[in-house]
Amino acid sequence: MNVDRSTALPGDPVNEDGSILKLEKVEKRFGHLEVLRGVDLEVRRGSVTCVIGPSGSGKSTLLRCINLLEPPTAGRITFEGQEITAKTATDQVNLVRRRIGMVFQQFNLFPHKSALENVCLAQETVLDRDAAEARSKAEALLARVGLGDKLNQYPDRLSGGQQQRVAIARALAMEPHVMLFDEVTSALDPELVKEVLDVMTELADEGMTMIVVTHEMGFARGVADEVMFMDEGQIVERGEPHEILANPKEERTKRFLGLVLEH
Amino acid sequence: MDFILEYYFDFGLMRDEFGPVLDGFWYTLKLSIFAGILSLLWGLVLAVLRQLPGKAFMPVRALAIAYIDVFRGIPLLLVILLVSGFLGSAASPVGGEIIPREIGVPDWLGQPSPFWYGIIALTLTYGAYMAEVYRAGIEAVPRGQMEAARSLGMSHGESMRHVVVPQAVNKVIPPLLNDYIALMKDTSLVSFLGLIEVVQAGFDFQSETGNGSALVLGAILFLIITIPLARIVDRLIAKQQKKTGRGGETPPPQPTGLAGAGAPAA
Repeated sequence: MNVDRSTALPGDPVNEDGSILKLEKVEKRFGHLEVLRGVDLEVRRGSVTCVIGPSGSGKSTLLRCINLLEPPTAGRITFEGQEITAKTATDQVNLVRRRIGMVFQQFNLFPHKSALENVCLAQETVLDRDAAEARSKAEALLARVGLGDKLNQYPDRLSGGQQQRVAIARALAMEPHVMLFDEVTSALDPELVKEVLDVMTELADEGMTMIVVTHEMGFARGVADEVMFMDEGQIVERGEPHEILANPKEERTKRFLGLVLEH
Repeated sequence: MDFILEYYFDFGLMRDEFGPVLDGFWYTLKLSIFAGILSLLWGLVLAVLRQLPGKAFMPVRALAIAYIDVFRGIPLLLVILLVSGFLGSAASPVGGEIIPREIGVPDWLGQPSPFWYGIIALTLTYGAYMAEVYRAGIEAVPRGQMEAARSLGMSHGESMRHVVVPQAVNKVIPPLLNDYIALMKDTSLVSFLGLIEVVQAGFDFQSETGNGSALVLGAILFLIITIPLARIVDRLIAKQQKKTGRGGETPPPQPTGLAGAGAPAA
């Protein structure tokens, strides 16, 4: 795993074993439906973890458990030395979410706010930044994702790729320590996928810790430090991208990759 | 035909009775503006209470639902009579003076107590109707909006205030206006407490003279307000439909037409 390119912020706590995020035997049930069946995962600061697998395998639920949008039914999640699955106060949940940014498949931009306001809102309400500070931060971030000329556009005037880049800027504005990407290019027209992946690649190169659920095998191959194949709520196989994508050992992984890569 | 013209459209009589009818209509307007604003606010409070998350707020949600069910399910007239009876007697020696007289028999802003009883009753009832309209709006905001706000670290309250409620309100302005039209017409029920609003003023004249022209004058005054409002509602709906047709977001909940507004479905 490539640790030396990490921008590990000095002073930020890590778990005892040096990981920033650790999942132990995480389970999630919706009624009788077992969506996650004991997932173990360890993420080092500055690493990029790609999660692949068929739909319904629990990949999205895994991400949603990590930032507690769906509280796990069982198991432990430790983030920066603190167990976040313990019975925590609501404030603490909000604090955790602020440190763990998330980007969604459907963008989920606030349609009644301009690009700039989308990036400013949580800075002002959650981080108590004053309007001018939030604005200059938002302008810088939007420029960084290539949208410096779209500050005052409303989401319905932006393409899917542009909306998704605003969503990334919005998450980055909170200065998260980990970013979760949930199939962020799946709802995009093919010609718009690249502009979003480029932003993500750049982010990875700058040392952001990322967990990326994706069907973009090219991205996984080129950017990931670790690739995990998930099926039926479990991690079937994990390893370096070239191992998993080129020489999978498990039958289920082979079958899935056969279906995905033959296109 | 002459009979109809003479008894309902006697413009001379209308001119003579214009003063009292207009005075009555002024009450109608004041009632509907005060009660309208208060029910818009009270309805929003009820709707938000109803959406509070988690087990801890279960009792609050249950209370809000019970309140809405009760006040949507009983006639406004009954609420008006109960409010005036309760407040009036609770402030009197008969009721043990459990509330101060200034509250039990209010005369704030120089308005008579039936006026305030009417406003309280209209707000209690229409708050419940409007809470249901807001709820439809809140539920029409995609779940992803709340999740995106929460994922940024915003609390449930902050997410509701900055993200969900503004979008919900935008979606339900037409049905809220419809309820407002209904409320405005229902202010006539306050006449049961002796307040001479526009309907009572017209009816008093008809009782004296057997001529309904003053009532027709009242109807005309209502229509001057309600028809433009109905047109505004139509236009807003058309605008929203155009937008959803293009943008592909969730369509707003459809309000009932003006015809249905007189008796909002319980």
